[in-house]
Amino acid sequence: MPAAANPNAASSSLVEARGLTKIYGNLVALDKADFRVMRGEVRALIGSNGAGKSTLIKILTGAVMPTSGSVKLDGVELPLGRPEEMIRHGIGCIYQHSNMAPAMSVLDNIFLGRQPTRRFGLVDVKAQRREAEELLERYGIDLDLDAVVGELPTVKQKEVEIVKALALNAKVLLMDEPTGWLATSEVRRLHDTIRLLKSRGVGIVYISHMLDEIFTVCDTMTIMRDGCVIAEADVSDMTRAKVIELMVGDRLARESSAAAHEARHPRGNGEVRLSVKGLTRRGMFRDVSFDLYGGEILCITGLIGSKRTELMHAIFGSEPCDAGTVEVDGKPVNFRSPGDAMAGGVGFVPEDRHRDGLMSGMTVTENLVMTTLNRFRRLFLLDRKGIEAASRRSIDDLSVKPPDGRKLVRHLSGGNQQKVLVGKWLRLGPKVIILDEPTVGVDVGAKAEIYAILRAERDRGAAVLVVSSDLEEVMTVADRIGIMVSGRLRSIHDAAGMSMAQVVAEIGAE
Amino acid sequence: MSALSPNIATRLAPHALPLAIAAFVVVFSIIEPAFLKPDNLVGIVRQVAMVGIMATCMTFVIMTGGIDLSVGPVLALSGVVAFFVMEAGYPLPIVLAVGLASGVAVGMVSGAMIAFFGLPPIIVTLAMLSIVRGSALLLGGPDLHSIRDQPGYTFIGTGSIAGIPFSIYLFIAVSLLVIFLQKMTPIGICVAAIGENERAAFLSGHRTRTTKMWLYALSSFGAALAGIIQSSQVHTASATYGEFGTELDAIASVVLGGTSLMGGNGSVARTIVGVMFLGIMSNGMNILNVSIDIQLIAKGAIIALALALAERG
Repeated sequence: MPAAANPNAASSSLVEARGLTKIYGNLVALDKADFRVMRGEVRALIGSNGAGKSTLIKILTGAVMPTSGSVKLDGVELPLGRPEEMIRHGIGCIYQHSNMAPAMSVLDNIFLGRQPTRRFGLVDVKAQRREAEELLERYGIDLDLDAVVGELPTVKQKEVEIVKALALNAKVLLMDEPTGWLATSEVRRLHDTIRLLKSRGVGIVYISHMLDEIFTVCDTMTIMRDGCVIAEADVSDMTRAKVIELMVGDRLARESSAAAHEARHPRGNGEVRLSVKGLTRRGMFRDVSFDLYGGEILCITGLIGSKRTELMHAIFGSEPCDAGTVEVDGKPVNFRSPGDAMAGGVGFVPEDRHRDGLMSGMTVTENLVMTTLNRFRRLFLLDRKGIEAASRRSIDDLSVKPPDGRKLVRHLSGGNQQKVLVGKWLRLGPKVIILDEPTVGVDVGAKAEIYAILRAERDRGAAVLVVSSDLEEVMTVADRIGIMVSGRLRSIHDAAGMSMAQVVAEIGAE
Repeated sequence: MSALSPNIATRLAPHALPLAIAAFVVVFSIIEPAFLKPDNLVGIVRQVAMVGIMATCMTFVIMTGGIDLSVGPVLALSGVVAFFVMEAGYPLPIVLAVGLASGVAVGMVSGAMIAFFGLPPIIVTLAMLSIVRGSALLLGGPDLHSIRDQPGYTFIGTGSIAGIPFSIYLFIAVSLLVIFLQKMTPIGICVAAIGENERAAFLSGHRTRTTKMWLYALSSFGAALAGIIQSSQVHTASATYGEFGTELDAIASVVLGGTSLMGGNGSVARTIVGVMFLGIMSNGMNILNVSIDIQLIAKGAIIALALALAERG
């Protein structure tokens, strides 16, 4: 095992888990995993969905009782399977989705559920404030205790959660996809906070699919695959390619890196498929114009809040706009509803698959034919056989796992749900396909598969428009890159000539 | 606890209602052997025919997460409208068409308010309950209007073919039609999609609003047909028919059939099982001379229990 980054590592092992195994029925979710976190160390925990990360984390938070194995904190053996004990001993967890009470103040949130009280059970506001101020001082975090949490930027809300955990004497913080919904500048701020915590001796477990962030902020990494810890290393000893290879196995890794280096196709086959001119919605976006060609992938990137999603909805007819025109294949169109847009050959894979995309209580087959139901109508009757056959084809093409059309969508992993969502739009065979954040919350393996699907669509001549905040993704799939800043499409570049640094500089420009 | 028992519970859950029906049939027939006589069994189906038609037609509305509280007054209205059209001397097909159309019109108005203006179904149909009852009273007054010398109309509620009352044929026909819509046409998937995730259905190109409006029209159609059967059965039309509790019977049948009030998946066929369950319960209690007050309490308790079980499941 390589030496840890921290000089006094040997003496300050904070968390020490040994031989953790969790068996569900026939499934070994976690197989004799060892896991260590040092004091003042930021350790990345990496692996595809289903690699065993969540099981490991759930054991550390006490939510899951391991079949065998032990966890020590500061050399003290912890009672497993009891969340309140894990918190009491100093394991804090910042979940992906916020657990805050948005209408309450920062101070109230920090002490939610355990207000220090005076006589008669009255809340001791002064003691609370004193304690909170001490905490902020000690960790060097800057927060207004009286601000209402719901009105704070997302990154500040994360800080409130961190302080809340610290108020419970957390010695180690587990952070699950902490930057999931943050914009680039906010990510930097969160990383600064993490460095502060680290310098104060807090151990941090950083769970993320974003390799960029891991290489920026983490010291060490633990890579998992198929329920086993397969590698531990210092971040400085690793390369991105090596990490991906370890995570997904060599075959997929080779394919995805080969694809990344293949030729770009700016302006594809030279035929303008979608032409947007002067599109405006007051208070949202202004005077947006661009041409999208068949056989190319145009990625529109920018900060969260730059109104890219609203722009896409306006093009698709699902939200209104005040001025401007849209043309498909040179003919002006006026889509008043998604149905109109689909009849005009435009498909739209929305951002939030749970809210906007899928019927999670319905089957994979039903979801896959949702956009093309009318094609399976024979007079009044539904052509069940045709539907089954179409669904089987899609499941094969997309390699949805498990390959069973009768499975409810909610029982699939995130990556497979996303494949179903993309698949239901591909079934439409659109001339123009818009995808809004197509790989949010999807593991690296499924990401590579979705990128391959996008390239296949491009290669069959479709015009592909991708909205993405994930720069790695933009650099990987884009033929051209559009940059949106505060509701305006600032510029469009050929991807081949752009470096990630140039893109970042433009995104941040006002 | 052994690992087996929850397993059995989850496997039995979908069959709980048929099993309960079987259990009641056994109990009632032991206490009172007359329960199993063909006459009584036909009587049960005849008794539930009207509620059955309303419940099957309302299943789609409930699958979309909506509800229709206005079926009682719609039932009264269609009878009164049919009566006046009959009085005016029009032939039977016109009488039926206008009576049914009055119901469909009510449903389309409620449906449009719910679908296009985004108003909550419970409030819209509650308001409609009041408006339609008022309209029926305005039209027909508080009197009973007796229907005389209308053999065709009277046949609907009182006639028989091959010893089976005509209203049972109507119940079967409507049930088969709605089951057909759910299972064999795209409507079934559209309705489930709206109930599961209306926004995603809209973004997938479905005309969710128009569809929802027509589903309320279908629900009202069921109530209007029940109104015609009712007035025909008792040879009178009255603006006071379809009294409070009519909507409860219909909704309870749907819920007992396993359709969630939250919307999503549901089954018209299982609604019919729910209808039969309530019918057998009430017939059995009648045979055992259970008084009506106790029957109402028992029915309410069963509905509450079914809802509680559905939430847990």
